Amino acid sequence: MNRNLKFICLAPVVIYALILIFFPLIYILFISFQTSDNYGGIIYVFTIYNYIRIFDPVYLKVFFNSAIIGLFVTLACLLIAYPFSIFVSEKKPHIQKLLITLVLIPFLTNSLIRTYGWIVLLRKEGIFNTILESLSIIDNPLSFMYNNLGIFIGLTYTLLPFMILPIYNSVSKIDKKVIEAARDLGAKPLNIFFKVIVPSTYSGIFNGCIMTFIPAIGMFFIADLLGGGKTMLIGNLIKNQFLVSRNWPFGSALSIFLIIVTFLLVRLYKKLGGKLDDLGGF
Amino acid sequence: MKKIIVLLIFMILLSGCGQTKNEVNILNWSSYIPDEVIRDFEEEYNIKVNYNTYSSNEECLAKLQAAKSGTYDLIFPSDYLVELLIDKEMIQTLDKSKLTNLSNLNPNFLNLEYDPNNKYSLPFLAASVVIIYDSDFVDGEITSYNDLLNPQYKNNIVLLDDQRIIIGLALLALGYDMNDTNEEHLEEAKEWLLELKPNIKAFDSDSPKTFMITKETKIGVIWNAEAGLAMNELDNLKVVYPEEGFNISIDNFAMPVNAKNVDNAYKFIDYILRADVMQKIIEEYPYKNLNIKTQELLSDTYLNNIATNVPDDYFKEGIFVKNIDEAIINYDRVWASIK
Repeated sequence: MNRNLKFICLAPVVIYALILIFFPLIYILFISFQTSDNYGGIIYVFTIYNYIRIFDPVYLKVFFNSAIIGLFVTLACLLIAYPFSIFVSEKKPHIQKLLITLVLIPFLTNSLIRTYGWIVLLRKEGIFNTILESLSIIDNPLSFMYNNLGIFIGLTYTLLPFMILPIYNSVSKIDKKVIEAARDLGAKPLNIFFKVIVPSTYSGIFNGCIMTFIPAIGMFFIADLLGGGKTMLIGNLIKNQFLVSRNWPFGSALSIFLIIVTFLLVRLYKKLGGKLDDLGGF
Repeated sequence: MKKIIVLLIFMILLSGCGQTKNEVNILNWSSYIPDEVIRDFEEEYNIKVNYNTYSSNEECLAKLQAAKSGTYDLIFPSDYLVELLIDKEMIQTLDKSKLTNLSNLNPNFLNLEYDPNNKYSLPFLAASVVIIYDSDFVDGEITSYNDLLNPQYKNNIVLLDDQRIIIGLALLALGYDMNDTNEEHLEEAKEWLLELKPNIKAFDSDSPKTFMITKETKIGVIWNAEAGLAMNELDNLKVVYPEEGFNISIDNFAMPVNAKNVDNAYKFIDYILRADVMQKIIEEYPYKNLNIKTQELLSDTYLNNIATNVPDDYFKEGIFVKNIDEAIINYDRVWASIK
């Protein structure tokens, strides 16, 4: 009975993972090696052409631009999330819970709707510009959006919680006695920070960076809405293959490529001495 | 325990095969038929409408291909997609005897190249892509796509986010055919668009009128109905049909093969073809009306604006997007390089 019960309890998750994650991924892998009929259909002829096409300079440029934007967003999230996490972890437990709940509250609203909210704030006749102009700080409206700055703001805002949660998790696990010991042994605050606190939160930092970077290069709707559709992220490129260029095999190959990049990043983390268990999400 | 699970599974399976309900499954462009019109239809005919939307022909095709055959009863593909769907045997022939309001359709828009004799489709609305500009902002006037290259318009143009239309526009500006697939010509089109790029503020197909109304941009290359709606809001906007030529499209009623609720779909088409119903649609989304009876009911604001009521002799000069087979890969490359 005990074993049966275990099986029954696990079954939904296993079935869910198989049907909604594993099989679709296998299918994507499969069609990424097939030929497109140019009309959204698939001709079942094996080819590696889709993977060769990824290295066309035109598409490499898209990858490069995405990576730059992704890196800036990741860095900004890290710089905001880290001090915030330390600040939170020093509060009393119930305040900590409250603050972390506040970080999660935006998730109750669809991110697309929140992005539209940013349009109202950032546009030429939007709230920010109106306030700055009425305070005579600026004469002409600033261009906060319909450029890469807009994409940067939108992505940083949307992905910040993904950076805060893993970092907060590892920061709050630091044994306070270790810090006290460092202080007793004469370490200066900066030394404590860089030699004690930061090293013991590497896994959180890395986890947060991956959880920020990978979605950042995929969130096509933010590039479309706040970037004015002028910058193509990898996400836009993939979306276009399915909805515009009617080339599912190439779109699949791009997705697989993105998954491989993620795996490589995790491998890198392991090489640098990180433990997979610490990544939690992985 | 086991019995409960078996029972649960049984119930889940059963729920999938409920008896055929009185419904119709429609897949249409977003912002094309007002909710009110759908609700009125549901009440009048006591048929439930399951309404899904898409924002490009390619998305329509993708949804058709991804869904189980028979999922949709009625779709609204544009000209070139109709041609493709006929070719791929994805839509069925229409029984026009089931439509009482067929005679309301303007005969000039029947029997066109993409579906001779309208065996598979009937026209719903027509659209064109126009230039619209703020006459206070622009010195002189804009008459062509090449005028848009003026460096004074820096960061002031909104374009449709549509690779076929925008690359086609560049080809027209260079004197080529809008559906040209010659690689050198496409390379020139890419250079032309890169020259235009500093002037482009945004690409948007969903609601480009908003850019004009909020004065985010002073010039737009947008759908005629969007231009018309923007002109209703602001007085100093002018509309232009560029001298190099412009894109037109006709969206159609069509029924996928294996549609389950064919009779209800005919009822819906017939309802939409009614003069008063089409009037409601045009008033909300002022595309080019193709219904003769409705034309008599429309306001002067609509009729006197060449953006909304595209004159027939203008429309004749317009150019349809055509299927270009594998050349689409080159269009995709150009699009990726200008973004």
